[in-house]
Amino acid sequence: MIYLDNAATTKYKPDEVYDAFNYYVKEIGVSPGRGSYQLGIEASRMLYQTRKLVGRYFGVTEANVIFTKNSTEAINLFLRGFLKQGDHVVITCYEHNAVLRPLHKMKEEGIIEYSVIDRDDLLLTPEQIFEKYVRKNTVLFETTLASNLTGRIVMNEELLQHMKTKNITTFVDSSQGAGKITINMADDAIDYLAFTGHKDLLALPGVGGLVCFEKPIWKPLIQGGTGVLGDEYTNPDVFPDGYEAGTLNMPAIWSLNASIKWLNENLDAVKANELKLQQRLLTELQQLDNITIYDAEFERLGVVGINIDGMKSNEVVQAFDKYGICTRGGIHCAILAHEALHTKESGIVRMSLGWNNSIEDVDAVIDAIKKVG
Amino acid sequence: MYIVFYSTSHVFEAEEKLNEQGIECSIVPTPVTDKAYCGVCVQTDFTDAYRHIIDMEYEIIE
Repeated sequence: MIYLDNAATTKYKPDEVYDAFNYYVKEIGVSPGRGSYQLGIEASRMLYQTRKLVGRYFGVTEANVIFTKNSTEAINLFLRGFLKQGDHVVITCYEHNAVLRPLHKMKEEGIIEYSVIDRDDLLLTPEQIFEKYVRKNTVLFETTLASNLTGRIVMNEELLQHMKTKNITTFVDSSQGAGKITINMADDAIDYLAFTGHKDLLALPGVGGLVCFEKPIWKPLIQGGTGVLGDEYTNPDVFPDGYEAGTLNMPAIWSLNASIKWLNENLDAVKANELKLQQRLLTELQQLDNITIYDAEFERLGVVGINIDGMKSNEVVQAFDKYGICTRGGIHCAILAHEALHTKESGIVRMSLGWNNSIEDVDAVIDAIKKVG
Repeated sequence: MYIVFYSTSHVFEAEEKLNEQGIECSIVPTPVTDKAYCGVCVQTDFTDAYRHIIDMEYEIIE
């Protein structure tokens, strides 16, 4: 099997990640922030260590990390907490539904308005984008790190910097690419960042979070047990505990600890391998007459979106499957990007490379495309 | 002496800071008082340990 659906979930993890999960489940197995016996204390210590490790990975020196079950929950936590009645938000046309839907729901509820930066306008200068999209009541600029559909790197540090100079809060959805692109929230002018563990960060599913450059002062998304100040009738105003009601997925969190340590040691090699593979894939694809490659001209991740002339994306995915090649067709929870690329009807075939794919995998895919098309 | 915190995260941040200074401490259940804190706290015999965590929010329980 050739797995090319890493943009959805990285199926294969480094051995250290599986080992960390096994260790936690077998040797610890209790929840952090609850029991005050030695095993419970060790669980809490491991949670703190991971919080700090994640913060540093994204360039935050304090352990200002709220753990959630995925980036979708982190995004909802942020948007529902940060935005107020009458606010306006600017986003890009490459945002995942995890960003679009909570915003659109808040718009339907009459709470906020939002504007979407067109695909062509992303090439404008920061000043021009600001002039065209920002209103008097704009409080937030949100951007994905990279497109989950085409691999295009969307995050623009200069635009983030410009928004910050205009006192607009900045937010990055790093779900796509956080384990492949180095991010430093201080240098890149990012106030808040959502991440998920199960994609490029190479952890197990079930952990994500919100990294905060400064500790938030807004309300939590859910109420419940926090393990601290249990005498209060609502979540305590304590960071980060007050934002993490309910039992955390500590086995997944500890797998994230291992995966980030692995990435800290292997990120350069991961980047180099992916660059080599994506160049090979793009070069081979560009030699085929019946292929459309989307966003091929932009700096990118190893995520390539294509269509084959005369075929719908689902038909191509089904044909690939017969050759043992796992890709994804359809809309990819990115309707804004499909509207921008005019591919809503056909969908797109997405091939997303991972850290352990090989040149042989790429060659096999090209052979399959020649047979399918 | 017990150093108590509101956030569990702060307990382990304090432990880390004290350990870096070579100050012996333990993480133990927080003594029951009339006010609720995080369930665990730092216990130490070093009465000036607080000097190393002055930038944190805490309380001292003797």
